[in-house]
Amino acid sequence: MSKFTIERVRTGIPGLDELIEGGFPRGDTILVAGKAGTGKSILAVQFLYKGATEYNEPGVLVTLEEPPHLIKRNMMRFGMDLERLEREGLLAIVDLSPSKERTPVMVGEYPSFDLSGLEAIILSHIRRIKAKRVVIDTLSIMAYKFRSRDILREEFFKLCASITGEGCTLLLTSEIPAQDTGLGVFDIETFLASGVIVLYNEKISETSRSRSIEILKLRGSKHSSRIHSMRITDEGIRVWPGEIPGH
Amino acid sequence: MAENTGTADTDNADGAIEILFFKSDSCPFCPRAEEVIREVIGEFDPGVFRLVVINVSEKPEVAEEYGVFALPTVVVGGMSVTGVPEPEMLVKIILGSRLSRKRRTTR
Ligand SMILES: Nc1ncnc2c1ncn2[C@@H]1O[C@H](COP(=O)(O)OP(=O)(O)OP(=O)(O)O)[C@@H](O)[C@H]1O
Ligand SMILES: [Mg+2]
Repeated sequence: MSKFTIERVRTGIPGLDELIEGGFPRGDTILVAGKAGTGKSILAVQFLYKGATEYNEPGVLVTLEEPPHLIKRNMMRFGMDLERLEREGLLAIVDLSPSKERTPVMVGEYPSFDLSGLEAIILSHIRRIKAKRVVIDTLSIMAYKFRSRDILREEFFKLCASITGEGCTLLLTSEIPAQDTGLGVFDIETFLASGVIVLYNEKISETSRSRSIEILKLRGSKHSSRIHSMRITDEGIRVWPGEIPGH
Repeated sequence: MAENTGTADTDNADGAIEILFFKSDSCPFCPRAEEVIREVIGEFDPGVFRLVVINVSEKPEVAEEYGVFALPTVVVGGMSVTGVPEPEMLVKIILGSRLSRKRRTTR
């Protein structure tokens, strides 16, 4: 492959890759934004599952919100057995969810810290299983945990650079607050990522909603600029590239 | 060291209160935080505290177990402070942890 062609990392999510010239550019940081319940976590974990099972790319899932046993249970509904992947060394789940027993209650925060601990934890798993894909779900929770936004912004940039510097493709999720029009709680989410995907679950009538997906930007890619139908099926997320909702 | 890090909330054989200090090789604020902690501990009788220093660069698994990833962080009795702490704040959480210990044992 010439050094001028962008190598693609197939997401393996049915219908998505054909909207983005075959996949995410390898080594890029991709943001998946959406309101609560739009399918961000499912999409992110499915990206890791497909990587591990179909493309021989081990993955690290850093969960800052949902505890692992719930993620496993949810994904099992789609026939995705995460525990098996863990046993086979194809998946590492880094549990940084707040519900952990040992996790102390933070009673004080001074604006003189960094995220080098998070970096060390994630890199140790990347190196252990030779991961090629990393998911951080979700960035937004940091905004509730820490007050020092300026530090977080700077530290996120460093963290993303050091993860992608290991040769991994990084997918971040960010929750859009219910009444918000931006892409997340930090206002920097877009700058962090070279690709942005937005998930919707809009009310289309008094009694129904319709899921859809939009590729807002993707570095070096001639991606679709339309909003496409998406559904959560028994096999996980599926995108209908030809289908435009409401048409 | 790992076996010493699991008892932050309980009495140890020697009765010392455990203070966990999480740092890393690259963290610019960590040396100053460690100084502050050592100064505060120095104001108490020796043997009251046991300081356990966890270098996350070397032992990321311990930080993961405690869910501590912003550095420096000091943990005493289930409470934590992140960033370079003010000495008064440290004293406060240390005394808080002693009080809650007392309460538990007199009940
Ligand atoms: N087995 C299933 N079949 C169909 N839809 C499902 C199934 N499991 C979950 N869902 C849908 O997926 C949604 C949750 O998806 P997911 O957890 O990925 O959302 P999210 O965007 O991460 O939400 P949050 O912001 O709360 O973390 C549920 O609200 C539900 O509508
Ligand atoms: Mg989620």
